[in-house]
Amino acid sequence: MSNRSNFWVQLPAIGLPALLAASLAIFGLLLPGRFWSVGAFESMAFQMPELGLLTLAMFLPFVSAGFNLAIIVTANITGIFMAWLWVNMVPSDAGTGLQIFWVALGLLGAMLIACLIGVLIGSLVAYVGVHPILTTLGFMTLIKGVGIFITRGAPVSGMPPVVQFLGTGSFLGVPMPMVVFILTALAMLVLMNRTSFGKYVYMSGSNINATYFSGIGTHRVIIGIYVISSLICVLAGLVMNARFNSARMGYGDSYLLLTVLAIIMGGADPLGGFGKVGGLVLALFVLQIISTGLNLFGVSQHVSLAMWGAVLIFVLAAKFFNRRYYLPWAQRRAAGPDSCSV
Amino acid sequence: MRKMTFVLTALLLVAVLGTAAAGERIRMGVVVKIGGIPWFNAMEEGIRKESPKQNIDAWQIGPTSADPALQVRAIEDLIAQKVDVIGVVPNDMQVLEPVLQRARSQGIKVIMHEGPEQVNKDWDFELVSVEFYAESHIKKFAELLGGEGEYGLFVGSLTVPLHNAWADVAIEYQKKNFPKMKLVADRFGVAESLDDSMRTANELMDKYPNLKGILTFGSLGPIGAGRAVLQRNKVNDVVVVGAFSAGQGQRLLEQGAIKAGYTWNPMVAGEVFCRLARMLVDGTPIVDGKVIDGMGKVSVNNDTKVILGQEVEVLDKANIQRLVDMGL
Repeated sequence: MSNRSNFWVQLPAIGLPALLAASLAIFGLLLPGRFWSVGAFESMAFQMPELGLLTLAMFLPFVSAGFNLAIIVTANITGIFMAWLWVNMVPSDAGTGLQIFWVALGLLGAMLIACLIGVLIGSLVAYVGVHPILTTLGFMTLIKGVGIFITRGAPVSGMPPVVQFLGTGSFLGVPMPMVVFILTALAMLVLMNRTSFGKYVYMSGSNINATYFSGIGTHRVIIGIYVISSLICVLAGLVMNARFNSARMGYGDSYLLLTVLAIIMGGADPLGGFGKVGGLVLALFVLQIISTGLNLFGVSQHVSLAMWGAVLIFVLAAKFFNRRYYLPWAQRRAAGPDSCSV
Repeated sequence: MRKMTFVLTALLLVAVLGTAAAGERIRMGVVVKIGGIPWFNAMEEGIRKESPKQNIDAWQIGPTSADPALQVRAIEDLIAQKVDVIGVVPNDMQVLEPVLQRARSQGIKVIMHEGPEQVNKDWDFELVSVEFYAESHIKKFAELLGGEGEYGLFVGSLTVPLHNAWADVAIEYQKKNFPKMKLVADRFGVAESLDDSMRTANELMDKYPNLKGILTFGSLGPIGAGRAVLQRNKVNDVVVVGAFSAGQGQRLLEQGAIKAGYTWNPMVAGEVFCRLARMLVDGTPIVDGKVIDGMGKVSVNNDTKVILGQEVEVLDKANIQRLVDMGL
């Protein structure tokens, strides 16, 4: 008896996978032979990682009840640094080994820049107590200005072949950007669910004062959050460099708030403290399927953007309905038969 | 019997010619800079009207913001659909190289518009060449001035390569063909700002009382200069010529403060996308001197793969209402 009752209580957990399956099925039916094709899935796998990596970068601050508006510019500025280094330093006839050396060096430098940005943002948030939105708004504007000033808004282009492979190549049939995204998401999953740091992030998001008084160095946790967030931006910058064969301030500008959309859709609490990496990944897939599906229809891009918004509102409404009406009913149902049988 | 053969041959001939004219049905997606603005709405209209005539299933994709990343996504989805032709009006040519390379490696033809330096393309077309556009302006300007007198020159900004190329050609042409005209000062980079154009026009009129005209490249130059001229009641003394957006300058043009200008029509660009797609797929050779509807007699550069047309829209009293109705 209690098994069946538990089933009803657990049911809402399949919401997102069901949405994913439904969108796959609907577009498959409406676009016979065109949606379920290698081409379409390859296209989705190439497109999703940029937004995906940036969403992961936003996820960590978000769960800690913070925000990072500087993700796009961090990705841009580290991307420009790497591009500048490679364009100027890698000889055009460099072998794969030499290229990998420079790519690694570029990544290292970019990570140093990202660490600096992360530490500065984290310190301001943790020690000075400035609201993360304001702090990162400042950094966003600062980095954007500096970046455009240095580059004069022009792109730095011409990546070494190794980097280009990262943008256009495939590994065992999976596009390389997707490989980068999956590895990053897995690392994030382990970080959040298997390490004490992950626990601290969730705790800080729920109640930072309680966490502090539990004897956890929340200041360091906050700084760590923004450092890791900025480091993921480096990967996003790398993927954008690879896919566009160039770097410039402003690439990916339109993704900033879409990352929040994906996170909320993935089940994270807007007030912080809750949110799962798995849900976020599923939400990203749903959004990409909707976008590509509607594109295959030839629907206006503005309509697909509107659809993303509509799906978010639908998910939020479902969540409200679930918490207000469905869960109490399911719990009564779970408790009911037992109390009757007494 | 002979009559029968004749009829049959005739029918066969019509059938063959018919298919030759229409060709097989092809699919084309055109990715523009941004959706939902008048310029690209007009282009979409052109594509919508012309594509059935060319037997093309064509549609336009306008990203929701001018972020180059969104154009890449749109093109990726077009590759997934295995379209025959992709048309692009690029925001950023560098960004598009890898994805267009992928498109072409899968046998998709790529047609650019306003992207002559794109490497991975089959053709780029420009409705007007730099020379033709600049010469159209200076010819009209000289005609209105009567071939003599002092004039000033505005460009959008001193760093806009296209505007300065136009200015170079115009000055060159004036020196050669209208020696009695005289450029009073070096060009001013003000025509992307209404206020700067007005102020500079006023200063020019103060400093050079014999000023006969202002030629401007850059869409706000004619508006600013036109207003300055109107305020000083010099409509009949100072000629203002230059391209502007039709809706914005209509009143000034009707009042005579702006005399004329030339622009190109995005609707025609949409039509040309369809015509070129048909030629590309059918293998029709595109050579120097060929007449393409909407582009006139084209000049073709086979090294850079650029097709230059010589068709302009005149911004004058007779034509402006039509352009305003199109929302330009």
